[in-house]
Amino acid sequence: MNYVEWLRVRNLLRIVAIVLAILVVLAVALRISVARYMSPDTWVHESMSRPGVKVSHTTLPDGTPRTILNDPAESTYAIIDDHGYAGKHIVITEPSSKAHKENTHVSIGSIEVKESRNGAMTTTVIDTNGAVPMLYYMMLADFVALIVATVLAAPLAREADGHLEVTLTKPVPRARYALGAIGADVVGIVAASFLTVLALYFCQVLFESARLDFTGINSRAILMGLACPLAWYAMLCAATTLLHRSYIWVLVFTPAIAIVVGALTLITPTSVVALFIHDVAWVISRLDPLAYVSVPQPDEHGQLDYNGSSFFLRLSLQVLFFVVYSALAIWKWQRVEA
Amino acid sequence: MSTITISNLRKLYGRIPAVDGFSLEIPSASVFGLLGPNGAGKTTTFKCMLGLARPTGGEILYDGKRLVPETFERIAYIPERSVLYDWMTVEEHVEMMRRAFRSFDAARAFELLATFDIDKRRRARALSKGMRTAVMVALAFARNAEILVLDEPTGGLDPVNQRHVLSLMINEAAKGNSVVFSSHQIGQVERAAEHIAVMDHGRLVMQGVVDDLKADRKIVEGVFPDVSFTLDGITSDARVARADRTERIVRLLVTGGADEIAARLSSAGAHGVRVLDLNLEDIFLYAVSPATATTDVVAKDISS
Repeated sequence: MNYVEWLRVRNLLRIVAIVLAILVVLAVALRISVARYMSPDTWVHESMSRPGVKVSHTTLPDGTPRTILNDPAESTYAIIDDHGYAGKHIVITEPSSKAHKENTHVSIGSIEVKESRNGAMTTTVIDTNGAVPMLYYMMLADFVALIVATVLAAPLAREADGHLEVTLTKPVPRARYALGAIGADVVGIVAASFLTVLALYFCQVLFESARLDFTGINSRAILMGLACPLAWYAMLCAATTLLHRSYIWVLVFTPAIAIVVGALTLITPTSVVALFIHDVAWVISRLDPLAYVSVPQPDEHGQLDYNGSSFFLRLSLQVLFFVVYSALAIWKWQRVEA
Repeated sequence: MSTITISNLRKLYGRIPAVDGFSLEIPSASVFGLLGPNGAGKTTTFKCMLGLARPTGGEILYDGKRLVPETFERIAYIPERSVLYDWMTVEEHVEMMRRAFRSFDAARAFELLATFDIDKRRRARALSKGMRTAVMVALAFARNAEILVLDEPTGGLDPVNQRHVLSLMINEAAKGNSVVFSSHQIGQVERAAEHIAVMDHGRLVMQGVVDDLKADRKIVEGVFPDVSFTLDGITSDARVARADRTERIVRLLVTGGADEIAARLSSAGAHGVRVLDLNLEDIFLYAVSPATATTDVVAKDISS
């Protein structure tokens, strides 16, 4: 019954797939161009083959193979513990140079680099193939899903725009038709999110063995990353159901309005006018699912986390928004006339 | 075999009545033509029949039952304007219908599309107005529906394809299905329809079997020697539905007793009195157009 909506979803997913494929192609090109420099493994192999470098191999009591490199000419000493799929733990001690900075800590994808300068010598600790938080994946996936949700978000208005004579003369109750259309779009939004995660994963494995962390904040990010675009979609769907051609303007301007309203809620109420604007914006923003998405903040241990106590409330609100706005859209759809 | 009963249908847009107390019985196994000038309420009537517009009052029954979503399995509809999805191919439209209706015959649809010389791989946006109509006709007639509601089904089609659509309609009626259609081309209605109804300003102004309407209604025309004449006793006859007088010429639309009234007109002093047959266009125009004469006009309800 919702063949047309499935076609719309398919066409949009095709575009998403093309954009993601371009991203992957760019990643492949980058991988090829930096093949010589990128991997710590490459550095290890190059160091081992340098003349004068002494290489010794041992096995730690837990079975971990250890390689020790000693380069007297460069006064460089390196210990490499190979933990297999869990990556390598590399400790390099070498003379300090201008490139070395005091106590730096850098994470690039799954690679973590800690550098500590101690007078004339600098110790660099490199951990490869660490678990990559799904949070990072979901941030981009959420962005793509929100775009897809916005584009798809007027399935009923699109029918009202010149196709009601086809849509409403099918042997199916209006509510069931609307539910089917919304269902098709939900599948499309989730699929766009999944495709993005898949593309990012593929990009990552071009450079390293990818290990994804689904625990803690990451599982929360997945839940919020799925719920928020769906709630946003349902809001736009409800807003556009009774519109015909003008639904396009709603889809175009609502994201901008949401940003403006969100920004106005950040106004410091230093005057009566500012207080008024702030309060009005705050009330309006309560209807917007995006207002309930919080950016993870570092906790006292420096780990990223959502505000734990309110996360499930925010998630529940997203689900509630999706249900209520969808029901509102279906209710309005029952009243549409050709 | 389906009968459609419309009882006292009313549809207001704001305070303006688009359909105003319209009642009609559409018999099964026939081609039924709904005629009326622009804005008469034909399309609104169709929309109310199909639940696309909510009637302000009245009732529409299909074989005595109200319209429910399942009824659409039995009804095919061609709207007045193109409702095809511009971005979809013709083939995808066929697939859409196949998925929506159990009785849809995709092979028949492709056969009809081939008859209209439509390439199924083309997107709707690339089709001309006539081709779009042809696609909608093909989709409707492949439905194997018991009731076909066709709003201007030949709009934009060339004469050859117009005739083909009329043949399809007549074939459907021969198979026992009901075809209700509207058209501004009265020649088409006359060719295809057995029954007609004429609407004007949202009201039914005439209905009946086409042949009966033509047999019953005649024009009695006479010319008087000068402009000062009277029609006393003639225009008050119940069989005179309408009298138009222009200068010395008088034209009477009569619903019976044409020869007797012609004789009375001769007795009143008219010469060259003759009785004329009406075609459907004449009947339609008399039903919906205001009286044209300048004086002594008696305009009566032609449906009486």
